[in-house]
Amino acid sequence: MPLQTPFHPRTSELCTSLLWKEWAGYHAVCSYDTVNDREYIAFRHAAGLIDVTPLMKYEVTGKDAPSFLARVMVRNIEKLRVGRVTYCCWCDDRGKVLDDGTITRWSEEHFRVTSNSPALQWLQRCARGFEVAIHESTDRIGVLALQGPASRTILAAAAEAEIEGLRFFRATTGMVAGKPVEITRTGYTGDLGFEVWTANENALPVYDAIMKAGKIHGIEPCGLDAMDVTRIEAGFVLHGVDYFSARTCMIESQKSTPFEIGLDWAVQLKRESFVGQAAILAEQDRGVARRLVGLELDWDDLERVFEESGLPPEVPRHAWRDPLPVYRDGRQVGQATSGAWSSILKKNLALATVNKGWSEKGTELMIETTVDFERKKMKAVVVPKPFFDPERKRT
Amino acid sequence: MSYDTIVIGAGHNGLTAAGLLARGGRRVLVVERRGEVGGLASSTEFNPGYRTAGILHDTTGVRASVIKDLDLEKHGLRRRSEPVPVFLPERKGTGLLLHRDPSKAAPEINSFSARDADRYAKYQAFHSRLGRFLLPLLNGPSPPVAGNDRSDFWGMIKAGMNMRRLGRKEMIEFLRLAPMPLRDWMEESFETPLLQSALAAPGLSASLLGPWSPGTATGLMMYEAVRGAGIQGGAPALVRALLAACESRGVEVRLNESVSRIRLRAGVVVGVTLAGGEELDGSMVASSCDPRTTFLDLMTPRDLPLDLERGMQNFKARGNVAKVHLALTGPLAFACRPDLEPENIRIGESLVSLEKAFDCVKYGEMPVEPCLDVAVPSLSDPSLAPDGGHVVSILVYAVPPTGTLEWTDARREELGDLVVSRLASYAPELRDRIVGREVLTPLDLEREYGLNGGHLYHGEQGLDQVLFMRPVPTCAQYSTPLEGLWLCGSGSHPGGGITCGPGMIAAAAILNS
Amino acid sequence: MGANYDAIVIGGGHNGLTCAAYLAKAGRKILVLERRHVLGGAAVTEEIYPGYHYSTCSYVVSLLRPKIIRDLDLPSHGLEIMPLEQSFQPLHDGRGLVRWSDWEKTRRELARLSPRDAEIYPEFGRTMVQMARFVKPILDMVPPDPGSLDPRGLSDLLRLGKRFQNLGPDLQAVKYRMLTMSAVDFLDGWFESDSLKAVMSVSGIIGTFLGIRSPGTAYVLLHHYMGEIDGAFRSWGLSKGGTGGISLAIASAARSYGAEIRTESPVQKVLLKNGSSEGVVLESGEEIRARVVVSGTDPRLTLLGFVGEENLDDETVSALKNFKMRGSSGKVNLALDRIPDFTCRPGVGPHLFGDIAIAPSIEYLERAYDQAKYGDFSERPYLNIVIPSLTDPTVAPPGKHVMSIFVQYAPYHIKEGPEYWPKKREAFGDAVIDTLSEYCPGIKEAILHRHVLTPWDLEQEYGLTEGNIFHGELSLDQLFFLRPSPKMARFRTPIENLWMCASGSHPGGGIMGAPGMLAARELLRTRTV
Repeated sequence: MPLQTPFHPRTSELCTSLLWKEWAGYHAVCSYDTVNDREYIAFRHAAGLIDVTPLMKYEVTGKDAPSFLARVMVRNIEKLRVGRVTYCCWCDDRGKVLDDGTITRWSEEHFRVTSNSPALQWLQRCARGFEVAIHESTDRIGVLALQGPASRTILAAAAEAEIEGLRFFRATTGMVAGKPVEITRTGYTGDLGFEVWTANENALPVYDAIMKAGKIHGIEPCGLDAMDVTRIEAGFVLHGVDYFSARTCMIESQKSTPFEIGLDWAVQLKRESFVGQAAILAEQDRGVARRLVGLELDWDDLERVFEESGLPPEVPRHAWRDPLPVYRDGRQVGQATSGAWSSILKKNLALATVNKGWSEKGTELMIETTVDFERKKMKAVVVPKPFFDPERKRT
Repeated sequence: MSYDTIVIGAGHNGLTAAGLLARGGRRVLVVERRGEVGGLASSTEFNPGYRTAGILHDTTGVRASVIKDLDLEKHGLRRRSEPVPVFLPERKGTGLLLHRDPSKAAPEINSFSARDADRYAKYQAFHSRLGRFLLPLLNGPSPPVAGNDRSDFWGMIKAGMNMRRLGRKEMIEFLRLAPMPLRDWMEESFETPLLQSALAAPGLSASLLGPWSPGTATGLMMYEAVRGAGIQGGAPALVRALLAACESRGVEVRLNESVSRIRLRAGVVVGVTLAGGEELDGSMVASSCDPRTTFLDLMTPRDLPLDLERGMQNFKARGNVAKVHLALTGPLAFACRPDLEPENIRIGESLVSLEKAFDCVKYGEMPVEPCLDVAVPSLSDPSLAPDGGHVVSILVYAVPPTGTLEWTDARREELGDLVVSRLASYAPELRDRIVGREVLTPLDLEREYGLNGGHLYHGEQGLDQVLFMRPVPTCAQYSTPLEGLWLCGSGSHPGGGITCGPGMIAAAAILNS
Repeated sequence: MGANYDAIVIGGGHNGLTCAAYLAKAGRKILVLERRHVLGGAAVTEEIYPGYHYSTCSYVVSLLRPKIIRDLDLPSHGLEIMPLEQSFQPLHDGRGLVRWSDWEKTRRELARLSPRDAEIYPEFGRTMVQMARFVKPILDMVPPDPGSLDPRGLSDLLRLGKRFQNLGPDLQAVKYRMLTMSAVDFLDGWFESDSLKAVMSVSGIIGTFLGIRSPGTAYVLLHHYMGEIDGAFRSWGLSKGGTGGISLAIASAARSYGAEIRTESPVQKVLLKNGSSEGVVLESGEEIRARVVVSGTDPRLTLLGFVGEENLDDETVSALKNFKMRGSSGKVNLALDRIPDFTCRPGVGPHLFGDIAIAPSIEYLERAYDQAKYGDFSERPYLNIVIPSLTDPTVAPPGKHVMSIFVQYAPYHIKEGPEYWPKKREAFGDAVIDTLSEYCPGIKEAILHRHVLTPWDLEQEYGLTEGNIFHGELSLDQLFFLRPSPKMARFRTPIENLWMCASGSHPGGGIMGAPGMLAARELLRTRTV
């Protein structure tokens, strides 16, 4: 049976829909209401509060912690300054992605790494010869993500901490409801937002204080379904959906490189050796075989395929994650792995991995869809990510 | 200073590789941590006036082509004309003096079993036929059958076709025997326990296995395939000739210098750093150290690919052999045959005793009745001991590896006493003749000779760590995933023992690259 | 006199019946002769204590080939397999480990022993599934003869080689390691927890006279993962009504195709004429003729027993004598009044619905083996326990239970000689119960009836030579084209028209049915019958 997060007493009371799923061994709310519109709107227009405790967390400490993480990660973590957060992925020896997550430098010799899947064994395996200690803190720390335009105002009211001045991808500490918390300006919605980290025993007062402060600003408890739409709008890849950890793949073609999943910007190659460096360099020379791109599904063509069956056009009510083949000139050139209707952009979006040659902006592709039990193809165009990128995210 | 190739370690394999590389025109430096060359083959004075003939004392596996290619005979090496027989003493009875030549062995075996004498001839003939198939495998690089990017299907087919040349019956017999426990093979073949045990023992020396363990038959077949008559004067004579051959070809040897790091730049080897801080440049480094030492100790962890690291962590090198040297005032004489002065002796009464010796090891317990591989090198080289005196060289099977038992001083002496009393139970005058004794536990061997795990063969040689698996598939062709770094020691195919095989094949691979 | 039957199958075990069913399905006239009063051989259910149905010998279904289930439509003949998924391992220190079918739950259980192992566990499983994919076609093929230049055999070998090549370097190395390493050494490369390695490694030794440190035992770890790729998901299970249910379903299928099955018809010998089989002679003196005789008994009983040494060449005789059949296991069946608490996890919970392994540490298992090596049964043996009545209440009266305990090591060759076993039987049973009561203290008081089978009993009662449950050890030198010997590896014997179809042939023992199916296929392909 899945475990309960420290916020469970609150979330379970609020979740009137009883829509839950298992997330990394924990119960997690899909949506509090039977439809997630209100939660989505809160993320984009006010603020949404979501329990992201199941995210795995590892505390990396010790003299060699910076050089150790520089070895593990594709980004040069030695350069990460105290009080800052970064996002990147890590790879195996062959340059295939194992997982992705954030790394926060809390002090000279203390980092926190988050991941989607268990990573303790991998981190320990890379640690030979380094003076570091690695401890998992997943089940000791509760995490709340407060995301949306009003999040800064709400958190400033709830927390005794420097919130106004906390810039994008920075970290600070403070108090909420008289309890110590750690605050990072990070999130998975591509909006202005914060994540609040607290010891399990302080979880409920912290939760209550944020909800209370948010009440007049339209705060909503949000579930994973609404967040899934926002992360697609933000163009964020999801481990286990848009790409798979090399550790869980049965065959080579299921594995991905950082370039293939669009994390080129996170890779810092020219530096001391790190895990996967040689393979990534070789890939750079060889050329990247496929790319993760944003697709915008053509509205007129969507109307057409529905019209053919005598039906009005329909858009997905939830973010979807059943892969769909993507074609060009009748041949399959890739697959779309997740997508959603963006009600703020009024666009039908998808994330897709396509073969070399078909990833340029403006490339026209065909994506499969099923209308009235009949398989059809409709037009989709490669567009830049993120699909939605508000200025407030960074300011 | 800059060299073409820097060889780490001046053991017999390091010297062989260095000599052959110099012969191929390379400018070679050998760096040796100890104060003398030879490694496990070097002679040391363990008691005033008494010298050992190396830690390993069996030289029957030395490759003829090394002797030829390095002109070792010109440098003073002499081969024995025939193999030394092995004496198997008994507490009651006359013991068995076992010659390799079946016609010489027949009268001795006959006194135990006429059937066995007959079977012994067939058994030796089987080995020599098998040798024709196995020798090419053991005198060249292993076919890259598996686990390597270069492994090719045709290589595998070729290896398979080679086997067919054995003939149908022999091939099937080989395929049936190879995965077998030695015990089953020996019990099918012979009925005399002493003979079963004497023949099986060498097949077990390289692995942490007893005769009940499947696959041990292969170890014996590989041992028998390369067996020659040995070197006059044993391992030290071989080392002297190798050193002379190296020096005559301009190889530079630096003693008392240990390598602390193999230096890499952007994944490519650029030289080594010595313990004193001195940096030597070389575009190639060939390590004759054991693979775990080479990769886990001599490389910066950050430079080592994780797959290779895991391969090394999983490479088994649990040394289960101890060494005892005895300095005697007189000959080693056995009560069951007082007139005989045997040069090689084996103590291990039966297959069960071999298995029981192995049982203790599993639980990290001191052996009760270890099996002994005994040599008296002073018989052929009297200079090792003062007049009338003798040196007894004893390899003790099996003792617990370092990870399973803490080897204290007290345990070392306990082991020494145990070995002496075991040998003395066959040679009662032994105790009175001992004037000095040296006991080397696996821990001592690890420290003195830089052997990770204290394994005398640089790694166990079960079926999973031979041929294209030795030490790991990606390093099985002597090159490594790190450009410019090569392996040339016993941790590579064809494995350990004083054979010069790995050094020879590695040198050829380097020169071919 | 002409042949009455196209083929006579000696022995109504699951392989004999499978072979008979396939041959009958192909329209041949088949007679199956079973010595005992019940069908099933070692895959049998017997009501030894009134109201309690013991799966006397074999007790779980693991590798029954799904193709056989489909070809013979066994579910319509009453086959019902109930999943047996979790595995419970009580430990010395009062802790216990359950590996559940829910992986997150398993991860949390394992993390208490070792967080690292918990993470590696699924990765290990995936590698094993890849390995099993490679092995699967081998189970479905008639072994080639590597010594012959027969193009069929050669192309089979080439195909295997190519398949090996396609695994890629990493998996090739894993494959090779599995073939040559001991279960413990192999698992050492993955896991750190001693008790996890212990319980995983035992699948490598079942039915063999090897220890978990013996090279070659790693290979058998695969068997646990075979089910995953067979298209018979969750094939690890219990047969409804006991293991005999499988044999009865196959028998029913065979009969439906017209095969004739006679019980209590012990064969005395194979009827020979000019070195060729003509049929069989029953112990009753009755002679029955057939074009082919197919033996579902082990190779030694078939040839040294039914044919006789005097009718065989020396090479065959020595091959048969060298074929290792050393039985190493026994069985204890219990009728229980109730299920007592296991100390580490009291109560009757889902953890008891799977198998329960008494294999607390590597040293425990290795010491058990050492005792057996020198001719004693293990005082503290490895036990594999199932309580089928929890899943299938039909095998015991309401509220009561049967417990099936597989015990290793119990060597056939004890130092007093195998015929001394009956005198040691109860001591052996006591050792098993004493062992179990260290983890389940109330067991003694709950026992209503105890039935102990030693290797000697397996030989005397079930006709398994030397009590070997697999008709010969599953060691590398006795597999594939070496099983039972190169000359007899293709289901044929040196006696013309005498074939073999059981566990002593490729691919070996377990309730797999593959030898029976393959032998039938080969008989039909060569038009021998």
